Amino acid sequence: MKLSRLVWLFVILFLGWLFYWGLHRNPGELKSVLVGRPAPDFTLPPLPPFREAYGETFRLADYLGKTPIVLNFWASWCYPACYEEAPILEAAWERHKGEVLFLGINTQDKEEKALEFVRRFGLTFPNLYDPRGKVGIDYGMYGVPETFFIDREGIVRYRHAGAIDAGTLEKRIQEVLR
Amino acid sequence: MTPGPLGQVGLVLALSFALLGLLLAGYAWWARDGRYVEAAKRAALFSLLGALVAFFALEWALLTDDFSIVYTAKNHSTKSPTWVKFATLWAALEGSILLWATFQALYTWLAARRLRDYWMAPGVLAVLFGIQVFFFAVMLFVTNPFLPVPNPPTEGPGPNPLLQNHWMMAVHPVLMYLGFVGISVPFAYAVAAMLARRYQTWIATTRWWTIVAFGFLTLAIFAGAWWSYEVLGWGGYWGWDPVENASFIPWLLLAAFLHTALVQERKGLFKPWNFAFITLAFAATVFGTFLTRSGVVQSVHAFTEGAVGPVFLGFLLLVLFVGFGLLSRVGSEVRDVGGVELLSREGLLLGGALVFSTMAFVVVLGTLYPLFVEAFTGDKVSVGAPFFNSVFAPLGAVLLFLMGAAPVLPWGRVDAWARRAFLWMLAGLVLGLAAALALGATVGVALGVGLFLYNLVSAGAQVGRAVAARRRQGWGAALLGYLTQGRRHFGAQVVHAGVALAALAIVFSQAYRVDVQKTLNIGETAKLAGIEVRLGRLHAFDEGYRFVVEAVVEAKGIGTFRPRLNYYKTMNAPLAAPSVRYGPTENYYFILQAFDQDAGKWATLRLVLTPMVYWLWVAGGVIAFGLFYMLLPLGRSRRSVPGGEVAA
Amino acid sequence: MKRLWPFLFLLGLGLVFAQTPTGQPPPDLDPEVFKIANQLRCPVCQGESAGESNAGVSQEMRRQIAEMLKEGKSEEAIKRYFVERYGEWILYAPPKRGINWLLWAAPALGLLLIGFGLWRYLAEARRREAELGLSPEELRALEAELEEE
Repeated sequence: MKLSRLVWLFVILFLGWLFYWGLHRNPGELKSVLVGRPAPDFTLPPLPPFREAYGETFRLADYLGKTPIVLNFWASWCYPACYEEAPILEAAWERHKGEVLFLGINTQDKEEKALEFVRRFGLTFPNLYDPRGKVGIDYGMYGVPETFFIDREGIVRYRHAGAIDAGTLEKRIQEVLR
Repeated sequence: MTPGPLGQVGLVLALSFALLGLLLAGYAWWARDGRYVEAAKRAALFSLLGALVAFFALEWALLTDDFSIVYTAKNHSTKSPTWVKFATLWAALEGSILLWATFQALYTWLAARRLRDYWMAPGVLAVLFGIQVFFFAVMLFVTNPFLPVPNPPTEGPGPNPLLQNHWMMAVHPVLMYLGFVGISVPFAYAVAAMLARRYQTWIATTRWWTIVAFGFLTLAIFAGAWWSYEVLGWGGYWGWDPVENASFIPWLLLAAFLHTALVQERKGLFKPWNFAFITLAFAATVFGTFLTRSGVVQSVHAFTEGAVGPVFLGFLLLVLFVGFGLLSRVGSEVRDVGGVELLSREGLLLGGALVFSTMAFVVVLGTLYPLFVEAFTGDKVSVGAPFFNSVFAPLGAVLLFLMGAAPVLPWGRVDAWARRAFLWMLAGLVLGLAAALALGATVGVALGVGLFLYNLVSAGAQVGRAVAARRRQGWGAALLGYLTQGRRHFGAQVVHAGVALAALAIVFSQAYRVDVQKTLNIGETAKLAGIEVRLGRLHAFDEGYRFVVEAVVEAKGIGTFRPRLNYYKTMNAPLAAPSVRYGPTENYYFILQAFDQDAGKWATLRLVLTPMVYWLWVAGGVIAFGLFYMLLPLGRSRRSVPGGEVAA
Repeated sequence: MKRLWPFLFLLGLGLVFAQTPTGQPPPDLDPEVFKIANQLRCPVCQGESAGESNAGVSQEMRRQIAEMLKEGKSEEAIKRYFVERYGEWILYAPPKRGINWLLWAAPALGLLLIGFGLWRYLAEARRREAELGLSPEELRALEAELEEE
């Protein structure tokens, strides 16, 4: 049967194309469903060094819709990725202080280890403490580190998974500044 | 001489002789000269020797802690126990391909030795050597474990700790590869048959090989399930993980093939289908090895990728195209003649093959669906246990029903005995169903019980009838006669009984699984899922290559459990090693989930109750025994081959 | 070279974080929690359910499921909660909607397609038998002759 032969040929070629395509993409990557939606609100305690400036509890809603926010999830056990990006984040914070709020959330970690990390990299942007990882789940986190870019209307514009490099960071900051 | 160069020499020898064998077989075919077949057979032996040299060289490097080659440098540790060092050969990508290739060389040599039909020999050898050439070429040029390391370290990270937790690591992959590679032999025969246009005799010749491959595959799947259950700490034995599915697809296709082959042996029907089944089964093994090593899907089984993905994809496409080309020709040339009554043994056998192939289709679709959706819409979806379990339940029920009925019917029709036997089987089904419902089971479980009894009656009736047919010799002699001469028949009944038992165990363990988690202080007693549990103590000790924290848990009326957490140096966090105890119907499974790291005062325990899992392992043993029984060479067994006896 | 996140790689084995970082024991969990958790995917693992996995995220998911069950939420509502955050990928069985019907219809589709092929084949074989008018024994004998040589 000529038709059935063509059908089988098509199936094989289709499978070949599908697998070939599959080889060239990362099976672990996940698109964020939050992109284009308002950033979920949360209330978390800042780590001790930041309590003086930001109070005993930090509420995202106080800043949402008022300023662009760069939200970074990290942990002390996330080696080497979080260790690579920490100085980059700190440098960008220094550059954009006043126009963009940098927020770090230490997730699923021990407080002493988190403090050690903050001290080691001299992080001056506010870092919050989320030992349970509840906020991570609210943001659809599937690995550490992850960085979310929220614009001045409070809408999530972009989620970067993995250690972020200076170039991408700057580019996304410019996007949310607009 | 160091392992590195020796291994390279072995690989070169294996590849060269495989290539030589391929050329000799090709020439034998072209020149119609049997002497070249003999030469090719000898090449098979030398290729195997080369493979064994390479295998030995890698083991040598591992067992002497030689880090001068890239494989040991990346995967070996001096602190591993000896059996782990030995099994490290197949713990990572390059070595696993060496194991596969060595088994391929072994099977080629064994198949070459048993070759008697010189019409088929060139084709069979050419295909087997072709596959061998591929694997050794991949070994030598793409994933070579023997590449030298410039500054050899003195220590390495060791194999993945998940693979060091239990000795099953030494067994399961070996069985699996013996099964996968074994399929290449009937496949080679099928290709040779399609090339030589000898469409009938290959079925009888390859029966032994197919059952061997099927047996290893079955054992490997059960071993994997057992390992998953006892070792990996999540209380389950099958997760519908893509790589698990990749081993299940060839199993299903082989099962379909084994049954339609019976119809071809008896009535000469289904020739194109049998070629298709075995070709797809072999393609499925290549597909499986592609999935595991390419990183196309996420799996707990996946090796870390190398450049090997595209290469295996190319080989898969080659196999599919060649198979498809040959099958097209067969499809247009083979004109099967004959009728099949729906209500007859062949009719129900075909029904069974239909269900098996539908199951294979569903597994392929389910495994590839996320990839398919992502390619077309960019969205990610997951297809896992909830989908597969709900879809397999009805298919499984139909299969169990056919499994009991088909062997009871004679060929071509329904006779009086079959009608009577079926009534008894139905009685068993209804009895089981009613009894289970009366005891409060759900409909699904009750159906499972009913089908189990139904199949037991079927097997019993058939064995009884076969023995009774010889009763003139006296019952003892009749039984003995049946067991020695009716090996195929008895083996089949045993296998079917084992499958029925496995189905029952699966139904119960899925339907009545209970997971519960509770934190206890040391010395405290609490009720978990109705069982009184006391946390005795928590202690820790060093085992050299890992550090262990163990909880001693006493379950009233059941016994003492010792679940542990194993800390490996290369892992950030521990692996849970569960403590399992089997009862006649209930299985108790304790996991140490967490413990008080500061003061050691509390521990979080998870208890998983999965009834009847023990009987799943028994069923595996029964099935293996049945398959083994069918293969026993106790004198000559009568084979029903159209046209008379044909030498194997 | 793809970026390999060490976290993902480690969690790829799915059995990270048996310990809660705060030093507090994890909550006690009822069987219902696991029944639901087993239908959700662990976001950080390489193919484990939120019930099986011991990753921190899975532990938190189980805790949240337990809390939501206590509040009286239904299984559907709990699943929707996680889908809102992760997309439908977090469900281990794709919802029966749109293109997913192709998947759920797979068994019926398979039975139909293969069954149809089977039926066509059998009809042809029967037709040829009627045409030839040979008895099955004659046919077997002829075929055997062809293969003897």
